[in-house]
Amino acid sequence: MDVLLEVQELTKYFGGLGAVRNVSFTLHQGEMLGIIGPNGAGKTTLFNLLTGFLKPSGGKILFRGENIVGLKPWSIVNQGMARTFQIVRPFHQLTGLENVVISCLSERGAARAKKGAEEKAWKLLENVGLAGKERIVAKDLPHGDLKRLELARALATDPELLLLDEPFAGLGLPEIHTLSPLIQKLSQEGHSIIIIEHKLRELMKLVKRVMTLQFGEKIADGTPEELSRDQRVIEAYLGKGGRTFATV
Amino acid sequence: MFGKERRSIFRGERLGLLIALAILAAVPLYIKDRAIVELVILANIYAVYVASWDILCGYTGQVNFGHALFVGGGAYAAALLNFYFKLPPWITIFLGGGVAAIFGLIIGTPCLRLRGPYFALATFAAAAVPYGLTDVYWEVTGGLDGLYGISPIWPTLTGKYYFSLLLTAASCGLIYVGGRSNKGLILKSIREDEIGAMASGINTTRYKLMTFIVSGFFAGLAGAFYSHNQLHVGPETLSINLSVLVIIMSVVGGIGTITGPICGAYLLTIFNEMLRQWEELRLLIYTATVVLMLIFVPKGILPALTEEIGRVFKKKKGGEIAYGRTVRGPGID
Repeated sequence: MDVLLEVQELTKYFGGLGAVRNVSFTLHQGEMLGIIGPNGAGKTTLFNLLTGFLKPSGGKILFRGENIVGLKPWSIVNQGMARTFQIVRPFHQLTGLENVVISCLSERGAARAKKGAEEKAWKLLENVGLAGKERIVAKDLPHGDLKRLELARALATDPELLLLDEPFAGLGLPEIHTLSPLIQKLSQEGHSIIIIEHKLRELMKLVKRVMTLQFGEKIADGTPEELSRDQRVIEAYLGKGGRTFATV
Repeated sequence: MFGKERRSIFRGERLGLLIALAILAAVPLYIKDRAIVELVILANIYAVYVASWDILCGYTGQVNFGHALFVGGGAYAAALLNFYFKLPPWITIFLGGGVAAIFGLIIGTPCLRLRGPYFALATFAAAAVPYGLTDVYWEVTGGLDGLYGISPIWPTLTGKYYFSLLLTAASCGLIYVGGRSNKGLILKSIREDEIGAMASGINTTRYKLMTFIVSGFFAGLAGAFYSHNQLHVGPETLSINLSVLVIIMSVVGGIGTITGPICGAYLLTIFNEMLRQWEELRLLIYTATVVLMLIFVPKGILPALTEEIGRVFKKKKGGEIAYGRTVRGPGID
């Protein structure tokens, strides 16, 4: 398998605080990688660095072999890396359909919309389970639907690599159990996915590889089973001596 | 393409626009009072001012407090070119628009880095500079008195009127169509959430800058026309009063709809003139009315009106017609 994303010693300092420190990892084409870590571990900062919303203090991000550090967020999207946000960011006054159409109008999204942006948006909304809600203004949609809308918007740019920032946050179990297979399907369709999630049980069902961050540093990278036995990961979550409670 | 409901609203809106255009076209045929025709010409020009303001501010959400920079830039460019180089009005009007478009580029580039009140202050300041310059270079610009003796656009009043209507219909029409297009949708997404728009792969900087240029061009066009209409150019075309008036008209009419601000421009221009019979109370009544409107019709006249009509229409049909809130068009924007 080809390497799609290679991150080399990525570092971000906010003043004296090292939010992300010397994080390196690689992601292969078609792979699904989970990222876990306690609050403030630097997970979302890592996403912001990857997608160009923050400039790294050091390190390299090679996407398909090219260094994308310093590119604007929209050019990174148009190179094929799209993201969702932990706290949803819909265009409140626009309808569900219009929300997705915007992404379909991006350079990359438009180039891959054979039948036009709208047609594509309809289809995507149907795919994420929002059929029949195309005309509802985003501010009137419930949280679960906004999470799906967020996903549809990212997909509308035709990403090769999809970064999902806590897709299950704020969702109930029934909702998670319909969203999770959708993510699984996207992976099977060939999308490479990096997924940040706090709901470990749900995450472990999805991914075969998990990376753990703590205080901005990578402390572990391996299969879910390996991680559940890793002393440092358990300590990061449960503190010293937490091993006895660990039943992931 | 956006489905049946949207088309029907579109049709309704277009019908309204056609009726408005027909009424405006009939003005010089039935109204013989020169003062009233001149007033409607002024309202036509104001309509372009506000429409060009709205495509930048109502759509992308950045409130420009210095729209007079574009208006005055166009007005002075046209007047100077006509006065000193004897260029005919039909050329200077377009050159005026061009100069204002360049102003849009020059002001837009640094202003794009600013947000909210900082953006507003920067645009405010940008318009104040050329206002001062007209006085500094009074030998060229005529100072506070301005320049007299600009060529008329057309010798007869009726001809001048139709010219102004052509300018308004073409400019506002283009802005309207642009606003309702996919490009307009992208501008709205920038207003709603700029970061979200970036994450959708939209080059927000480029779109904002383009809008600045377009907004400047049309405002400059109308400003240039104003010079040839008044046969005079003066610093009032660059004044903060004008910038604020444009904002008031837009807000009263309904920001972000193009049609709303245009409606506001006509209503307020005519209303202001009607109040001249009570000259001493004019400003008081005018201001009080505007304030009351902002309190009771914060969305603006036109969106509130269309929503009301939509509600009545829905009741009559008794069916589930998705109106206003769920469809693109005035009333939700």
